[in-house]
Amino acid sequence: MNEYVIRFSVERRIEHACVMLLFLVLAVSGFAQKFFEAQWAQWLIAAMGGLQNVRWVHRGAGILFAAVVVGHLAWALYLVASRRSKPSIVPTRKDFSDAVMMIRYYLRLSDEQAQFDRYDYRQKFEYWGMVLGSMLMIMTGFMLYLPVLTTRLLPGEFIPAARIAHSNEGLLAFLVVITWHIYNAHLSPDVFPFDVGIFTGKVTRERMEKEHPIEYDRMRADAKQERDAHPEA
Amino acid sequence: MTLAGALISLTGVQAAGTASDPPSIASCMTCHDDPKFVHKLGDGKKISLFIDQHAFAHSVHGGKLVCTDCHTDMVESPHDTKHFPNRLAMRLAYYEMCKRCHFPEYSRLLDGVHYAKLAKGDQNAPTCVDCHGSHAMTRPARPRALISRTCAQCHTAIAAAYVRSVHGKALLEEDNHDVPVCTDCHHPHDNSNPRAASWHLAIPQLCARCHTNKQMMAKYRISTDVLTTYLADFHGVTASIERSEKADPRAFTATCTDCHGIHDIARVNDRSSPVIKANLLATCRRCHRAAGPNFPSAWIGHYEPSLRHAPLVYAVSVFYMIFIPFVIGGLVLQILLHLWRVVVNR
Repeated sequence: MNEYVIRFSVERRIEHACVMLLFLVLAVSGFAQKFFEAQWAQWLIAAMGGLQNVRWVHRGAGILFAAVVVGHLAWALYLVASRRSKPSIVPTRKDFSDAVMMIRYYLRLSDEQAQFDRYDYRQKFEYWGMVLGSMLMIMTGFMLYLPVLTTRLLPGEFIPAARIAHSNEGLLAFLVVITWHIYNAHLSPDVFPFDVGIFTGKVTRERMEKEHPIEYDRMRADAKQERDAHPEA
Repeated sequence: MTLAGALISLTGVQAAGTASDPPSIASCMTCHDDPKFVHKLGDGKKISLFIDQHAFAHSVHGGKLVCTDCHTDMVESPHDTKHFPNRLAMRLAYYEMCKRCHFPEYSRLLDGVHYAKLAKGDQNAPTCVDCHGSHAMTRPARPRALISRTCAQCHTAIAAAYVRSVHGKALLEEDNHDVPVCTDCHHPHDNSNPRAASWHLAIPQLCARCHTNKQMMAKYRISTDVLTTYLADFHGVTASIERSEKADPRAFTATCTDCHGIHDIARVNDRSSPVIKANLLATCRRCHRAAGPNFPSAWIGHYEPSLRHAPLVYAVSVFYMIFIPFVIGGLVLQILLHLWRVVVNR
């Protein structure tokens, strides 16, 4: 039996790499503008060839990012609608009870840990935080990019409101990534120093059994069914 | 004018009281007292060599200087005839005389736009005497209104606009000394090029010298938040960043004068002001050509967002002030709990 299971398809891995890269570009070109009074921000702006360059880099990366997010959501909707894929990332009632159970476990009120399916409640939280945050960033970003068009449809006050929202939501996203995501992907004792799963697509059976036992059991049951149906293969 | 008159007569009295005219003035006057005394320049133009002895005595230098203090090349009487190709050459021959006493002003002048024009050989570029006068010079800022009249000799259209502006009217009609005259914004000697991008980007700080002065603005009930509210907005951020850059900006961003007007600046409730509601869309459209009727309210005015002014903007900022610490705090707490349990398990 193979030591690894394939957890992420090539498309998902490329998608993650794109989002990671664009997020970095957007954060650098965005924070250089947000914190322009700081020495490092002025250095960054100069290194990128001036404010106008920074803004065009930010807009270009923003448009690509929007394309990735919209493409992802459209593709996911198609897969779910055509029953090619289960909506395994959609939160269920179990996620809430899992969260309560895990917090009880962390607080040593109980020694029982929740058993997770393909995605645990923390992963779902991060995914939906990312999706909703991205949609807000994309909408406010385009409002700021096209204020004349925006005010043909919306009151003028939406523009300064969008600016505050874009700036703060960007900061929030960045803070979530450097605390929560970096912890879960790098610093957590469970994965230290680097959870390479999203880059290689492979996860060890040992980890699957520990972190996603429900999914793993189903995978094995499916595989057994397959073997029983085609015993010669 | 009456103040100036009084001052002039005061210095006149002083001059007459301290000493009779030094002998060299008297000897020069044997020729230069003649109103018909003219000199032909190389370009064929004639200039008068008549000196109004009375006006000189009443000038700031009256009683302090004699002719040869400035005209050092004419100590013999009568002196040789001087030949100048044109008026500029003649002015150039003598304007450096001023620096023997007024060196700081002279050295600042070298950084100014007027000197840059002069260095290029512009016949119309002013030297010291063109603004200050030569023999009949008075104190340049007494009365204060004299300054704009001095600049108006060349900058006619700008001076006419200034006279109609809120600043000009207050100065000329009320003798208000809070309002700026030309030289308060454009330095008198080292005046930099107001068409340069660096000048344009520094306008907010220039206006703010008075408009953030709480004591002065309280008299006119003008907000002193004008600078901070401008700088917090997109235009202000752009101007601040571009100001700190070495290269000239490639795009234009609006500063104070682009909306409020420059020399013709009006009260913000004046019907001619470009920033009253009725005129605002037209003002925005000067840069944002396709702007629609909602567009001007994207600028929330010189107000800090509050429940009264821009409640949506206020609500969004308050939301994030709570939401960011809440989310990050929650996540960090969960991380710490996780780590703690890992440690306990060992």
